[in-house]
Amino acid sequence: MSYHVRIGRTTFANPVLAASGTFEFGLKFPEVSRRLGGVVTKGITLEPRAGNPPPRIAEFPGGILNSVGLENSGVEVLTTSTLPKMQQLGTRIVVNVAGFRPREFGRLVEHLEEHKVDAYELNLSCPNVKEGGAGFGQDPRLVKRITADVRKQTKRTVVVKLTANFVDPAETAQAAEDAGADAVTVINTLYGLVLDESCRPFLGGRSGGVSGPALKPFALYCVDRVASRVKIPVIGCGGIASGRDALEFLACGARMVQVGTASLVNPRAALCIWLELKALLARRQR
Amino acid sequence: MTSPTSRIARVAARSQLTPDIHSLWLEEPYLARRVKPGQFVNVRCSAGPDPVLRRPISVADVRGTKLRLVYRVKGRGTAMLARFRNGDVIDLLGPLGRPAPPLANLDILVCGGGVGIAPLLFLARQLKGTNRVAAALGARSRQELILVDEFRKLGVRVGVATDDGSSGHHGPVTDLAGNSIGYRETERPPAVRRRPSAAFACGPKPMLAALVRKLHPVPVWGFIEERMGCGTGVCYCCALPKKGGGYVRFCEEGPVVLLNEVEL
Repeated sequence: MSYHVRIGRTTFANPVLAASGTFEFGLKFPEVSRRLGGVVTKGITLEPRAGNPPPRIAEFPGGILNSVGLENSGVEVLTTSTLPKMQQLGTRIVVNVAGFRPREFGRLVEHLEEHKVDAYELNLSCPNVKEGGAGFGQDPRLVKRITADVRKQTKRTVVVKLTANFVDPAETAQAAEDAGADAVTVINTLYGLVLDESCRPFLGGRSGGVSGPALKPFALYCVDRVASRVKIPVIGCGGIASGRDALEFLACGARMVQVGTASLVNPRAALCIWLELKALLARRQR
Repeated sequence: MTSPTSRIARVAARSQLTPDIHSLWLEEPYLARRVKPGQFVNVRCSAGPDPVLRRPISVADVRGTKLRLVYRVKGRGTAMLARFRNGDVIDLLGPLGRPAPPLANLDILVCGGGVGIAPLLFLARQLKGTNRVAAALGARSRQELILVDEFRKLGVRVGVATDDGSSGHHGPVTDLAGNSIGYRETERPPAVRRRPSAAFACGPKPMLAALVRKLHPVPVWGFIEERMGCGTGVCYCCALPKKGGGYVRFCEEGPVVLLNEVEL
């Protein structure tokens, strides 16, 4: 039985991806990366970024918050040093690109066009940066403009990662579809705040992005809502920690899923989830 | 290099060293064989999603097929860990982090405060083979001082300090790291009278900072014990500011880092 999934011009061997920012570049666990549908890179910006001051991670029962702030070495290092190593992994490479001005997304993709990359994921949903990120993803007009701009640069698969922070992701998904996106990822982390013992914001970046099991019901709701609105494939993301969780996202209309926080607990989580999901799908076939 | 993997360890022995510091000997041959001083394991404190994250704990010692974890009960995760019984199984991810730098033919001070004494035991055991090692061990009081006998059994010189004076020197442990290294004047041995040529430290940040100032320009490597996410270098959540800008990811570049190069 084949579990291949085709999105845009890219065929993925199975429907499970490692989510951006939770598996770096897949190079630390090549035996896991190789067996996934693909690896979405950590968010990449035009220039290197130091990221937010610590602490960058906090916990609450059932979930975590992070405030990394897109720390990365920039697109130059990605293309010269990281991508050649990723190409040895034998998995699909999805580069997550993040801009601070709308035009930067197109420029990032332009840089990446001459390198071997399977797909782009436009990060219109990072909750931990002052400019861009979720700010872009909250405005359907900007989602449309940025997606259209990138679409002009590439024939490769373009996925738009959406936010559900103070915006209806069905609206922004529609905008992405109208502008030529091949798929949407639903959802990125939600805004959150945790306080320390003296009731001051705990995270160095003050607020953070909520992820983990607690996010799942809302993510599932968003996937269901978006999938019934747009025709392009939906990639479900949010609190997936088991094959059963992944199956539920597929049942709500997702074509693929991304595993994020679970990989921080167990680096083999995405692979375990795929193997569990495969068993569940096989049982349903019978 | 093989990727760190999740291993199932069995609790072989447990004890309580102070009102809030516990010790676990865990049977896990794979990790016991591979883990080096300076490295840590990331411990799953519950099977469910609460708490979500593992707890990073430096390895305090290894004997045969067993490794020892010494930890302080600080929050819900470590409180759950304290409820494990002999024979229970615990999910460990490791070995993680870089081993402490190998040094030879030096006068080395290891300086620990509170539960920070723990990882220095494993390290001192390795260092003493090729170096002259002295240990400065501190805590708030005699009741809270751990592993002093284990250090003495290693055969290294041991100096003790407590904030309340109930054991050893009355004052911060960094007082012991003066011109002679790590022991009181009366105990000064002939072998190591000079300033240390290198030091390793683990404890509260102010203690680490004080030691760096005091021993300047002697290199001081410190075990960083701060919030961590994955422990494997993928999430970029453990960040320690570097002097001159940027951050060190201490799960990957540490947890033992050259303190002279970071902002404490």
